[in-house]
Amino acid sequence: MSGLESYINHTVSIITADGRNFIGTLKGFDQTINIIIDECHERVFSTTSGIEQIVLGLHIIRGDNIAVIGLIDETVDSRLDLANIRGEPLGPVVH
Amino acid sequence: MLPLSLLKTAQSHPMLVELKNGETYNGHLVSCDSWMNINLRDVICTSKDGDRFWRMPECYIRGSTIKYLRIPDEVIDMVKEDAQAKSRNRTEMNKNRGGNSSQNQRGGRPGGNRNNVGNRPGQGYGGPGNNAMRLGGTAGQGNRLPHAAKNRK
Repeated sequence: MSGLESYINHTVSIITADGRNFIGTLKGFDQTINIIIDECHERVFSTTSGIEQIVLGLHIIRGDNIAVIGLIDETVDSRLDLANIRGEPLGPVVH
Repeated sequence: MLPLSLLKTAQSHPMLVELKNGETYNGHLVSCDSWMNINLRDVICTSKDGDRFWRMPECYIRGSTIKYLRIPDEVIDMVKEDAQAKSRNRTEMNKNRGGNSSQNQRGGRPGGNRNNVGNRPGQGYGGPGNNAMRLGGTAGQGNRLPHAAKNRK
């Protein structure tokens, strides 16, 4: 069984091939790792200001474009002070 | 839930499609297939930088060029309704079959599935056929459980 099965209905963080970071609830996936993310928001990192969260809603992300899917510990995540975290944004995957 | 089932449910709804090249297409979904190729209607295309716009009555997008699709929130609940309705129908069908046969119901259904699997080599048509079978399979599993529970009572 795919390891993603156990992530269903949990909060996950997706890093895409273009270097973006999406957070949301994994609702489904298929054999090519196309995924359904509900209540999706994007976290935009910057070195000059805190993390900006952009609410996006329901998304289907195509598997081609997915680099990493990670399980988020919601208790740890909710303690983060996003407004005071700075970081270099990721670059795109280089082929 | 499969992403492509959700996409199919989103037919006739508005959506935003971002392509791998950064262009976005806003329009209403007309149709889609198992490769995620899609037809949109009343489309506004936005360039990668968001500074240029094109309007077109319809367009066709090859699935492999898509990065992601943004879909109205309520569509995910409609998929559930579809699946539940299907599973209710199946349960009714199973009840009828169970009543006509002296076999128990658990034996009846899986036997039918086994036959399908046995015929598989003869059906080697690829995509749509396989999909239909997979859907049938999961629906079957989904409602065999409540059924068994009922029998135990």
